[in-house]
Amino acid sequence: MPLIELKDVSVRYGEIEALRGVSLSVEAGEVVTLLGGNGAGKSTTLRAISGLTKPASGEILYEGKSLTGLGPEEIVRMGIAHVPEGRRVFPGLTAHENIMLGASNRSGISKEQIDQEADAMFDLFSDIRPFQHVLGWTLSGGQQQMVAVARGLMAKPKLLLLDEPSLGFAPVIVSKVFDIIKEIRRRGTTVLLVEQNARMGLSVADRGYVLETGRLVVTGKPDELWNNEDVRAAYLGGHARAAAKA
Amino acid sequence: MDMVFQLLFQGIGIGSVYALVALGFVLIFRATNVVNFAQGEFSMVAAFLMVIFSVDLEWPYWISFLLSLGGMAIYGALFNLGVYFPLRHRTYLPVIISTIGASILVSNSTLALYGPQPQVLQPLLDFPGFNIGTVYLDAQYLLIIGLTVVLVAFQYWFFEHTLLGKKLQATSQDKEMASLLGIPVATMIMLTFVYSAMIGGLAGILVAPILFVSIHMGGTIALKAFAATIIGGFGDVAGAIIGGLALGVIETFGAAYVSVPYKDGFAFLVLVAFLVFRPQGIFGERVAEKA
Repeated sequence: MPLIELKDVSVRYGEIEALRGVSLSVEAGEVVTLLGGNGAGKSTTLRAISGLTKPASGEILYEGKSLTGLGPEEIVRMGIAHVPEGRRVFPGLTAHENIMLGASNRSGISKEQIDQEADAMFDLFSDIRPFQHVLGWTLSGGQQQMVAVARGLMAKPKLLLLDEPSLGFAPVIVSKVFDIIKEIRRRGTTVLLVEQNARMGLSVADRGYVLETGRLVVTGKPDELWNNEDVRAAYLGGHARAAAKA
Repeated sequence: MDMVFQLLFQGIGIGSVYALVALGFVLIFRATNVVNFAQGEFSMVAAFLMVIFSVDLEWPYWISFLLSLGGMAIYGALFNLGVYFPLRHRTYLPVIISTIGASILVSNSTLALYGPQPQVLQPLLDFPGFNIGTVYLDAQYLLIIGLTVVLVAFQYWFFEHTLLGKKLQATSQDKEMASLLGIPVATMIMLTFVYSAMIGGLAGILVAPILFVSIHMGGTIALKAFAATIIGGFGDVAGAIIGGLALGVIETFGAAYVSVPYKDGFAFLVLVAFLVFRPQGIFGERVAEKA
């Protein structure tokens, strides 16, 4: 049984059909990346899983149970943490407070325990340790991304949804973010990763899906996708080489 | 010089009432991004509850006081369910209109029940006050100032040192993200309305023995508190308190040294000055937009 399974899911924003009959699945322990250009429906897929957007049709199963009709607060309590695009760090709270609130989905743990766990997060995210008592809005984009991912991990999720963690960052930050994804994977958390940066996404993933205008077009192992000329040409930014070959 | 201290004392006393109501304004504004135009009615309803319990039913004063505050907690919850909750996914405009409608409904219902004549409420404490030198310290003003200090200290502790306080702050800053973390957003907003109604109600009960209890008291207090909020800055709790105190002192001195009939005018003169020269208030926004 897959950890998460989408069956023929469609999502509409008014007249626009953002997802058209998408079916995909992620097994426990896997890192799966969702690739595609702007407006392909990558973020919408994650929003549908975490309950921010209601599918117009189709079904989403988590550990075999349907998520239909559940809101984001209930879904995160079941063990699905969503780190949305744009980081969404609370601007008026400190980095440490932001990370502590990541445990809001877990019941029956004391403030002291949450405090200790948040402290421990700075071992994994040592770059932001000096800024832990600084307000969120004063952090740089890269620091905010670290806070956002750490906050997601505080939920102790079985499934972590990461939306474009590398977007807009310098290569040195991007490689740091991906080192952390590798570490999360090593610790056994299942990850569904949305990326525009196909090279980075495929470098950490077990499998990949490629979306185009709301539809799944190709799926496969990273090297299969990477070596599929059509995929590279159309979705992964390999225009130059595809053109040269033609 | 004694005159100055006397006026300062009275100004801070009445300013504390404005500060409490302004605090309620700011909390609801931060949680819902909407100015609650029925905020003044929180004070008015609480004062009338006090009249019902202590004057009409002749129950003991402190029991009436606690019952009125409890009643305000229920009123805040019902207000949230009836006025805000059904419109929570809409823009701010329908919500504002809804609060204006609630204000009209509540004050006219009170008018229908109690008629236009003002009610009188006795002071909470038995002793009237005492002198320090030639400065007379009225007990009711002392009580107002004391309770305001306690409430502000409690609120600071609550928001800065408890997890629930942090969750409330998170909800006011980004509701969608808060819900993604599993923070129960609807419950957080409910708590905000209940607390806001209670401190607004407390202000109404405290000020009732100084003013008369009438259906118009809510409007007057709300306008002053609104001015205090503009002066202090809308996003800031400290600003609401400083703004309220400043307004109380300004209008008290204005009434004493310039003109009594224009007492209310000074508050709005200051309001207009701030809107023209410093619209973000004394403190501005704590969180700036990053370029």
